[in-house]
Amino acid sequence: MHYPWWYVPYLTSPMLIAAVSVLHVLVSHYAVGGGLFLAFETAYAYKRNDRDYLAYLKRHAKFFVLLTVVLGAITGVGIWWTIGLASPLATEVLIQTFVFGWATEWVFFVIELTAAFIFLYYWGRLPPQIHVRIGWLYAASAWISLVLITGITAFMLNPGKWLDQPDFWTGFLNPQFLPQTIARTGGALLLSSLYVYLHAAIVIKDQRLQRQIEQRSTRPALLGAVMIALGGLAWYFFLPESAIRALSAAAALNVLMGLLFAATIVVFAALFFGPYLNPGWLHSPGFAGCLLAFGFIAFSTGEFIREAVRKPYIVYNVVFGNGIFPEETSRLRREGYLQGGTWTAQYVRAKYPQVVVDGRIDDDRLRALDRNAQVDLGAVIFQYHCNDCHAPAVGYSAVGPLIQGWSSQMLADLVDELHVKRFTMPPFCGTEAERDLLVAYLQTIAPPPPHGMRLNGSSTR
Amino acid sequence: MDPQALIDTTYLAPLPAPLWFIQFFKVLGFVLHLVLMNLWYAGVPVAVGLWLSGRAHGRRWTTRLIAQMPLIIAFGVNFGIVPLLFIQVAYGKFFYPATILMAWTWFSVFVLLTFAYYGIYLFAHGLKTYGPNLPKRFAAAGWVSALIFVALGFVFANAMSLMSNVAAWPGLLQDHSVHGAALGTAMNLCDPSLWPRWLMLFGLALTTLSVWTVVDAAWFAGNESPEYRQWSCGFAWKTHTVGMLIFAAMGAWYVFGAWPEDVRNRMLHGPMIAHTLLTGAIPGVVWLLLAWGARASSSSVARTPPGRGWASTVFIAQVAVLAINAVTRQIVQNIELQRYSASLWKETATQWSPMALFLAVFVLGVGVVAWMVLQVVRAERASG
Ligand code: HEC
Ligand code: HEM
Repeated sequence: MHYPWWYVPYLTSPMLIAAVSVLHVLVSHYAVGGGLFLAFETAYAYKRNDRDYLAYLKRHAKFFVLLTVVLGAITGVGIWWTIGLASPLATEVLIQTFVFGWATEWVFFVIELTAAFIFLYYWGRLPPQIHVRIGWLYAASAWISLVLITGITAFMLNPGKWLDQPDFWTGFLNPQFLPQTIARTGGALLLSSLYVYLHAAIVIKDQRLQRQIEQRSTRPALLGAVMIALGGLAWYFFLPESAIRALSAAAALNVLMGLLFAATIVVFAALFFGPYLNPGWLHSPGFAGCLLAFGFIAFSTGEFIREAVRKPYIVYNVVFGNGIFPEETSRLRREGYLQGGTWTAQYVRAKYPQVVVDGRIDDDRLRALDRNAQVDLGAVIFQYHCNDCHAPAVGYSAVGPLIQGWSSQMLADLVDELHVKRFTMPPFCGTEAERDLLVAYLQTIAPPPPHGMRLNGSSTR
Repeated sequence: MDPQALIDTTYLAPLPAPLWFIQFFKVLGFVLHLVLMNLWYAGVPVAVGLWLSGRAHGRRWTTRLIAQMPLIIAFGVNFGIVPLLFIQVAYGKFFYPATILMAWTWFSVFVLLTFAYYGIYLFAHGLKTYGPNLPKRFAAAGWVSALIFVALGFVFANAMSLMSNVAAWPGLLQDHSVHGAALGTAMNLCDPSLWPRWLMLFGLALTTLSVWTVVDAAWFAGNESPEYRQWSCGFAWKTHTVGMLIFAAMGAWYVFGAWPEDVRNRMLHGPMIAHTLLTGAIPGVVWLLLAWGARASSSSVARTPPGRGWASTVFIAQVAVLAINAVTRQIVQNIELQRYSASLWKETATQWSPMALFLAVFVLGVGVVAWMVLQVVRAERASG
């Protein structure tokens, strides 16, 4: 609409955001929780003068820096890179609203980076209390950057009163802010313990140390689990109704919720029967690895659900998933979607100058186009209006298979009442002539019925 | 298609801060990015080359620079975030379409960067562990990183020049789209300003690299032999000479061969001409300083490389060179976009309290970082 649409075959470009986000989440929560772990445990080890533990913590810090400073930081920039490509309008709104939130967060990144490098590279060369203080500076700034970014991502799910009073603080302190901050902090604690188990299982041979780490890391993990549960409940409580309904209506989301609960219960049980009742189990990298893998699954599905329940919006009540403001709907229905889109209008003008009358795209001229041109323009509408959530014939949530066997009347009815049929879809924002173009295109992507099925005496075709 | 009509004006949010504020932080952040980015951009290719050449001082230089590189990249990338943020605040109407047209290439930046970054860690690890017997696989990691960095510089030059080259958008969309949707496979290759722009910055990067060489030799190379430090002065001067020649040649091509009429008129006439000349000529000042240093260190009488005061002066001069360059780029960008930006930036609704929060945290952050650096300095002093 406002910007060119990026067509990513099969996957759809917003799914790239999801892929990068999941990767980032798995590292960035560890960047926060691992920082707390290192600060807390280094202080403890210094106090006890536990040299073995200090030696292990240094090894862990090395692994930690290598993972979080490189992959964590770059995938974080990567999310930003990708949202600008796949959802430019929503990105623009978020940036205009929260530019100083991001700028403030950047300052904490600088502190984080400096602290992380000094903490690692000057290990043993700083007085212990200074070393620990730098560890805490890292942990505190990492956690504050989690809080800052959570304000912005929580805003996307429920901007609360911001719609009436669009200023920074109303948006930042939205109803989802606290629940998500609690859940994410818990997530950081839990996930980093799982990282610690695996890392320790691989590199530590000494039994005493192994047990000590297991025992000490299980506490934050269990605390984290409780915080996730509490934050998750509050999250659910402060969801807009559409999100709750989306959650209960969509089969795929139900499966994912099931998966999320199952994976969380597995991690719970494993923590209980593992390090809690049977310290020593985690000696096996296999077991610790499985535990981390379950953690990954739970986290990834959690992120996926968080993204999915926002539909039809990308920012609830502010921007639709397909880059349209709700307040633009009626104008586009009146004046036409192709005409209203900055890029679609230019495309039509250049390719089909015959449909332009007095500088505007004319409905009657659209109807008079030949079939190929109509299908082409229908495809343009599909790209800009539907491809955010649906691949065309094959791929992620492809429309083709969904409309197999539908008559053109059924398709027209669906498009007319897109948001009525599924409230997870934005309303169709075009004229009747444009609806017919879209229907003409949809008919070309619906697959024929499968071959070889016996329905009466003989197979189909 | 009419390029002007491709600038979206149906959604114009008021600017969250005055335009000058946004431009100031965009340029400030870019200067910080530039200083460090130059070091990996020119530094990693030169480092792998010098390692290959096999000469002892050259290999010392490579080992030193690559050991510092993870830190340089971490902060350089981090500083890039600042201009990336403010570019989107004020110039989003140009930034989003340009990067979407070249979406795959733009998307590849952070993927490739991850590989290059880990490649540097591998290369550094190899150098530290094996020294002169560096196994081929570690050297190969260095070469891959070098290639990626040069390529990424090209991608950035593409994106930034495509932002201003609005006139090319309709054609690029037509050639790289399905049903009006961008395939994300376009590049700004037909823009005459692309090539000199890319190479000009590479020349500038070589000059920054040379300056870093003397700073490192004067401040951080206490354990190196006097011969190495002496060598580095000569090496820095030679590198700077090459860099400056590239910068001058490509700069001339850029200004006289690639600037659009309106930019040339504004930049080469009236009050701006002094600024344009300054931008082109000021690297010469640094060159003179380096030439003096190289002479002093090689003259048979003194044979001591100039000291820290001189190195710091050269460094500050180079930061000034980069800052002037960045300001000029901003002026040129504004002129180029003026044709299309008439309807933008009309309204400002400054977000005072978030801005105050940011500025306060910024000052606080500088203090905290300074405190941490002070601890490091103390630790260094204590260990001699
Ligand atoms: C914001 C995201 C979004 C957009 C944009 C969107 N849809 Fe959907 N659509 C959905 C969701 C979610 C479903 C439910 C999918 C499911 O049940 O598996 C759906 C379902 C459908 C179905 C199946 C309906 C049924 O009765 O089974 C069709 C057909 C469809 N969409 C077509 C379209 C078309 C055509 C467009 C563009 C005009 C479009 N959608 C735009 C999200 C979207
Ligand atoms: C992900 C990390 C990075 C970020 C966030 C970033 C950010 C930026 C931004 C915003 C600009 C434009 C500044 C302006 O015009 O105001 C820029 C320019 C540039 N960057 Fe980076 N950068 C990153 C990594 C790199 C890398 C790895 C390279 C490799 C060499 C690089 C090379 C360049 C070059 C050459 C330019 C100038 C392009 C031109 O205008 O011709 N950057 N960078």
